Amino acid sequence: MAVAISTLDKIKDIVQNRHEYAKEWKARTGRKVLGVFCTYVPEEIAYAAGMLPVRLLGSHEPQDVTEPYLFGMFCPFSRDVLAQGLKGRYDYLNGIAASHTCMHINQSFESWSLHLPVERSLFVSMPSHVQSPRARPFLTAQLELFKTQLEEWTGKTITDEDLDRAIDVYNTNRRLMWDVYNLRKSANPPITGLETMYVALAEQMMDKEEHNQLLRELLEELKTRKLDRNPGARLMIVGSEDDDTEFLKMVENVGATIVVDDHCTGTRYFWNEVECIGDNRLESLANRYLDRSPCPNRDWPARRRFPLIGQMVKDFGVQGVIIIQQKFCDPHEADIPALTAFLKKGGIPTLFLEFDVTVPVGQFRIRVEAFLETIGQEDLF
Amino acid sequence: MITAGIDMGAKTIKVVILKDGQVVGRSNVFSGFETREAADEAMKAACNQAGVTLADIGKIVATGAGRKDAPYATDDITEVGADAKGIFSIYPSVRTLIDVGAEEGRGIKCSADGKVVDFVVNEKCAAGAGSFTESMARALEVSLEDFGKISMTSDKLIPMNAQCAVFAESEVVSLIHAKTPKADIAKSVHDAIASRIISMVRRIGIEKDVALIGGVAFNVGFVDALKRGLETDVIIPEYPDFVGALGAALSAVEKHG
Amino acid sequence: MSKEKKLYNSKPFDSWKLAKELRANHYREIAESRTDAGKKLLIGGGTESMIGLPAGLGDYVFFGGEPYAASFSAGDPQGAIECMEATESFGLARDLCSYFRNYVGSLLLDRYYFGGPFPKADFYLQTHFCDTHAKWYQLVSEKVGVPYHSTDLLPYRWDETEDGKKQKVEYLTGQLLDAIDWMVKTTGRVYEDELLIQAVKNEFRCTSLWAQCAVLNQNVPAAMDEKSMYSFYILAVLIRHRPEAVRFYEILLDEMKDRVANHIAAVPTERFRLLHDSQPPWYALHIFRYLEKFGVACVGANYEYGLSGGWDYKEGEYLRPAVPPQDRGVPLKTREDACRALAQWWLDYHLLARGIRFSGPGKNNLIVQTIKDWNCDGLMIHLNRGCEGLATGQMEVRLALTEAGIPVMTYEGNVGDPREFDEPRTLARIDAFMESVGLDIIED
Repeated sequence: MAVAISTLDKIKDIVQNRHEYAKEWKARTGRKVLGVFCTYVPEEIAYAAGMLPVRLLGSHEPQDVTEPYLFGMFCPFSRDVLAQGLKGRYDYLNGIAASHTCMHINQSFESWSLHLPVERSLFVSMPSHVQSPRARPFLTAQLELFKTQLEEWTGKTITDEDLDRAIDVYNTNRRLMWDVYNLRKSANPPITGLETMYVALAEQMMDKEEHNQLLRELLEELKTRKLDRNPGARLMIVGSEDDDTEFLKMVENVGATIVVDDHCTGTRYFWNEVECIGDNRLESLANRYLDRSPCPNRDWPARRRFPLIGQMVKDFGVQGVIIIQQKFCDPHEADIPALTAFLKKGGIPTLFLEFDVTVPVGQFRIRVEAFLETIGQEDLF
Repeated sequence: MITAGIDMGAKTIKVVILKDGQVVGRSNVFSGFETREAADEAMKAACNQAGVTLADIGKIVATGAGRKDAPYATDDITEVGADAKGIFSIYPSVRTLIDVGAEEGRGIKCSADGKVVDFVVNEKCAAGAGSFTESMARALEVSLEDFGKISMTSDKLIPMNAQCAVFAESEVVSLIHAKTPKADIAKSVHDAIASRIISMVRRIGIEKDVALIGGVAFNVGFVDALKRGLETDVIIPEYPDFVGALGAALSAVEKHG
Repeated sequence: MSKEKKLYNSKPFDSWKLAKELRANHYREIAESRTDAGKKLLIGGGTESMIGLPAGLGDYVFFGGEPYAASFSAGDPQGAIECMEATESFGLARDLCSYFRNYVGSLLLDRYYFGGPFPKADFYLQTHFCDTHAKWYQLVSEKVGVPYHSTDLLPYRWDETEDGKKQKVEYLTGQLLDAIDWMVKTTGRVYEDELLIQAVKNEFRCTSLWAQCAVLNQNVPAAMDEKSMYSFYILAVLIRHRPEAVRFYEILLDEMKDRVANHIAAVPTERFRLLHDSQPPWYALHIFRYLEKFGVACVGANYEYGLSGGWDYKEGEYLRPAVPPQDRGVPLKTREDACRALAQWWLDYHLLARGIRFSGPGKNNLIVQTIKDWNCDGLMIHLNRGCEGLATGQMEVRLALTEAGIPVMTYEGNVGDPREFDEPRTLARIDAFMESVGLDIIED
């Protein structure tokens, strides 16, 4: 019988009380909280400015407040995020920042700027042609602009030391996250997919320094942790934004373990570290964001995303992939036929599920169970 | 002066007969596929109640989805226009009018002198409030009337997809399999439908007084969910499903006069 | 605007025949490029920016996916539905861009709307004009098995700083030069810079001329209506890099001036003017004829006016046709000059691109300005489920107009997928809107 892990409880508590955490941080430090709309926002620079970047997420509740601002054909996630703002749940934010990702979430950012009180709404024009060498000087210059905007806002210069310190904290955080993830390569992972999701979500809501501390404690505890459960089939989730803990809980209750992922609020967030080249911190940061595991929106003309997924499948012993498609998300949708074919070629069966902010867990359960049966059959041969 | 309004709705045909500004006859008949016959029946019943004959009626105006094919009518007015006129004659203080029928939901912003300032109609994603309620009632094997009533006995808040009826139906099936009490499912469904309607109406802004008309106004569960969602009281006229036909009859007076 | 009945003189456009011919020639050229008789380089991609960039390679024709899909859905809605269904079987979601789906469906079914097999390009050259564009041709080039390259068009935001603008011009210019290098490597051809310079000059001239035609439509009564405009704007979309397109717009401009001078109206009963927003539902263009029954003229849209760029806009000050660089003494002597001028032209003057990637107050203000300048009484918004880019920010536009007291109506539909359009409902909404602005159908 596994002993209740206090670190995981702490982490889950923070995720479930994210607003309280941020408000308490703000009261304690007297500094600014910056709401960010996507993992392509270069958080290190905001962190170097002394701010707490928090990833804005939805609450998975049906809502009726966004329709005057955002047409229903745009993805439910972007509307859920805007709804949180409109309902005042994020009223402690000092400002918001977005990085060009997609037309859906951009609108949430624009509407938020238009209708909700924020000190600043900042935008980083993140290039989509990340495979082009031209993107590097362009993004570096954009980061310079962003840095200047933050300095103007806080009234303080962001020094090289500030940046170094922020980069160091973030790099450490990424390293520790991979340490946790790598434990899931084992035949009997000491941490479930659901628990890991909480860890990854907490990462995006917390001061990274504090999260690093929790990660170290967690890693210590995981050394001797043995889960009293049959891991079952080893699955990977691939898709758009996904923080649906109810869904993961269901999957891991019917004979499977999620061992790794490729999605917006999973590995794509902490994929790679900043490698410092000489003195140019901003150029180093630009490289990091251009070279990270790409959003499909940025994965062209060549496909760089699939080989990364293939590598994770191999490294983590993945037996099946659940594709989590946020309804209406064009860039991810465009990849589906090619992704399914790629995985099939590699002998990996896939289950496609379309997600909204609430999902029919019962119906999904039936499909997941059927999927697990087919994986079981594969094993016979 | 006697006029009539005939509302050729998707599901039912309603007739209102006006004599010197007073309603003297009403009827409501299922349209079915043979709308001509249903319209005849509706007109006959309303005339009987009013104690008039067809020949006594000075002008007949049609409204509703099938208004262009309405027998008897020599003119037509849109549902939006008819609703606004109708409600203005009963409750001139109404500024936000919500009309929820079988297939369509509408929000109408009315001015102080009863004109349509703005309007919104449900988009594809949120269509079919009334018929969705009916099919969910059937799924739970309760009558439509009971469906609304039992929803009010639950105090649970089970979230249900409020944008897409297809998704929501899927979730209802899930809940049934999970042996969720009928009352809780009913409440969830009503909350979801009300949420969809409120979402739509927010586009024109919610300004008091708010009124609700259309067939779904008879559903006490929906009305309760709507009031809770809007956080305001909602006026429901005595004959909520006749307001369109009334508006058409009033417009007949204007056009005739 | 007075709602009393009017009757202006009206007559069809002389230019319409030439427009039709040029368009037919273009699609024939595409088909013939795949046969021995007319063989030439066929390049596929989106028409929103780089159609002239391959000019230095010599003889080629550019097969633009969006106008193709629009033609298909306008001319054969049932066939378009079959394409969508084929695409869905292939595994692409129904809510994806309907131009994308129509095109991929044509490829899967090997059916070219203009007759014969579906023309497969020698390579695909795309611009990531919206967040789906580059993915479209990635998929197509994989299916066809030919090389693929794309650039990123990251338009100015409405509140862009001068520094930000400079950075974007550099980024885009660099990508254009790289794209040329890639094309040379892929085809093995020699690249003649002079041909590129000519092509970009044509593009600047073409789009500026069309903008001048559009400005003339500010006149009351409007000389052009939606349907004629769709026949005219499309040439800039398809072949703005070619001299025949320049010639066409010179002819059209003359005819427009003549019509305006002689008060020749597109809609003889014009008494109320609407601006449209987004592409129309191509298979249901008769809704504009329906509006005419009320004496309503749809006098334009940012869509057809601005799809190929060419507008000089300073918020709160002016919205006018952009002046081509060759008329301003901008050097156009080298390949880099041409690429830089092109990058600058798109970024400075492609307002539609800004509205696609960035919405917010900038887009709202532009639409309000357009309504004012074109003497419009209201806006008709097509809530277009088939094109996210053009639907960006439409609800905020609606809100802004309602707050400004400008009548606005919305109708839901899909630019290319007829299954998502409900005609009776749309006409009912038009009726309700007409009622609310006090317009009846004009009895003959």
